[in-house]
Amino acid sequence: MRSKIFYWSAWILVLFCLLLAVVLFSFCAGPVEMPLKKILKVIFEGRGSSEYSILFDIRLPRIILGFAIGGALSLAGVILQGMFRNSLVEPYTLGISGGAAVGVCLNIVLGLSRGLGIISLPVCGFLGAILVILLVYFLSIRKGILKIQGLLLTGVMISFISSSLIILIMSVSHTEDLHGIVFWIMGSLEEPNWLLIKLALGIAVFGLAVSYLFCFDLNAFSLGEEEALHLGINVERTKRLLFIVASLLTGFSVSVAGIIGFVGLVVPHFVRMLVGRDHRILLISAFLCGAIFLIFCDSLARIVIAPLELPVGVITGILGGSLFIYALSKKQVSLGDK
Amino acid sequence: MAMRRNIILLVVLFSICAVAFCFLLKLPDNSARKAAHCRYPLALAIGSQTMVLQPKRIISLGPSVTKAIYLLGAQDKLIADTVYCIDPPEVKKKEKIGTVTEVNIEKIFNLKPDLVLATSLTNSKAREKLKNLGVRVITFSTLKDFNDICNQFLELGRLVDKENEAKEIVKSVESEIILIKEKVKGLYKPKVFVQMGARPLFAATGSYFVNDYIEFAGGINIAKEARQGIYSREQILKENPDVIIITTMGAMGMVAEEEKNIWQKYETLSAAKSGRIYIIDTDEITAPTPQSFVKTLADFEHILHSGEQNEK
Repeated sequence: MRSKIFYWSAWILVLFCLLLAVVLFSFCAGPVEMPLKKILKVIFEGRGSSEYSILFDIRLPRIILGFAIGGALSLAGVILQGMFRNSLVEPYTLGISGGAAVGVCLNIVLGLSRGLGIISLPVCGFLGAILVILLVYFLSIRKGILKIQGLLLTGVMISFISSSLIILIMSVSHTEDLHGIVFWIMGSLEEPNWLLIKLALGIAVFGLAVSYLFCFDLNAFSLGEEEALHLGINVERTKRLLFIVASLLTGFSVSVAGIIGFVGLVVPHFVRMLVGRDHRILLISAFLCGAIFLIFCDSLARIVIAPLELPVGVITGILGGSLFIYALSKKQVSLGDK
Repeated sequence: MAMRRNIILLVVLFSICAVAFCFLLKLPDNSARKAAHCRYPLALAIGSQTMVLQPKRIISLGPSVTKAIYLLGAQDKLIADTVYCIDPPEVKKKEKIGTVTEVNIEKIFNLKPDLVLATSLTNSKAREKLKNLGVRVITFSTLKDFNDICNQFLELGRLVDKENEAKEIVKSVESEIILIKEKVKGLYKPKVFVQMGARPLFAATGSYFVNDYIEFAGGINIAKEARQGIYSREQILKENPDVIIITTMGAMGMVAEEEKNIWQKYETLSAAKSGRIYIIDTDEITAPTPQSFVKTLADFEHILHSGEQNEK
């Protein structure tokens, strides 16, 4: 028991160090050359200079948002995969991202963002996400019992419907609106509004804290719903709460940063390979790993073809997917639960 | 035992987060440091003298803006532009800060511009971010007609302190346009379809400046009333245009050639019967300045009325 705690603390320490390294890398990476030495100098002496502004007004917000979104998405992935006992579930499977996308597209096409300012985009995205969450939830609840399989199927269908709706909206919209929609769908950590960034961070951390309260329940869930019930867990309440936490995390992340794929699918698997299936450690390490992964990918996206910038989803997909296949072929672990 | 450890872990976690969060909230909130909105040329009165401040470091985020700056002779003030800005040829030497749609904020900021000229295609988040950083950003909207082109050109002239040059250019262009309008007056008005894209079939509608090429040159745009650009082939066959003009749509004109072949297969189409299907270079049509507008307009006039002049 004691050794387990040491092992876990060691893991968390390692992840924190990695996070620090990645954050430093992200501070250095960019079209404007900033070696480490210069950064220290700028931080302590350069107040008011343009380098200071680049570090704290351009790079820092992206790092913080990357931390929040990466953490939130992979946390949602862990929760959903644990709850559904299905390794192909990810935050976007349940159609929440689709709902957010439809909300944002409608906003762009109806020209709301021109009248109400750019802040209305994430608001509309979040409204769309909430609508889908409620729809999926009430469609799959029967006599007070949340049907897991029904939830999954409804979610998948809703994401198909919403992707068709997006194509419908795109086909009738003007050229300059099309650009807006495509930008949003590609996903980006560039966010001019500090309040949204802080809110994203707050919600991600809050999600981690709440889901951590259920780490034992999630462990019991991995045996099966019935077994969890026999272990004395209030299965229905837990399922509902976890579903709501995971979907809020996803909905908010998507409405702020757009659809950044793969973080919520690959990171949980990867972390499970590294630290095992115990949710007590899994939740925290998945959060940290997701944050590390996304910040790293975002820094890469900035420097690969500078001065142009790649959409971060390109890097997460290519890097995450190939890393995962490599790890899978090395370890020969089975993807299924148990 | 397990429960207690759980709680301890949670408390530790919470305190870490709380500290981190407090640290974060203390950071300077830069959205408050918005640029003071001032109009250029900025007149400063010092004593009895009046000094006029002009922007000296301009970044252009659109090919048409870059072209117009060169036309006005203000290229010394232009410090950077996009990778799509290739006309005139000497513009290639300027620093590049991204594409028309996706720009590199960090690079723009580091060049310390005092004026950024964006277009409606520029990523709106990027525009917002630059404004928050205290950079002055002016966005030129999509061009709806010839008046828009002139107004934006005059506005640009005012911004770069070349107002008189801009006025002169617009004046001479306007008189040229009047000449062309006189020339086509009373001639038969052919029905015209201008195709801007192939898959999906995309038309130049009445709310796009290309419509003015057709109308000024004495033609009828069959897609004028269409609300969206996506157009059906059946509708075109029904309207039966006398002339079809296809823009090259990138890809070395291959797509345009293919489209031309497709149109020629319709035997009932009068444009196909008389062989009046033309291909025009996209760069000529889009990204217009008043000067390039009148040049393209002359091409249109030639295309629409060359047949009749031969008959006369």
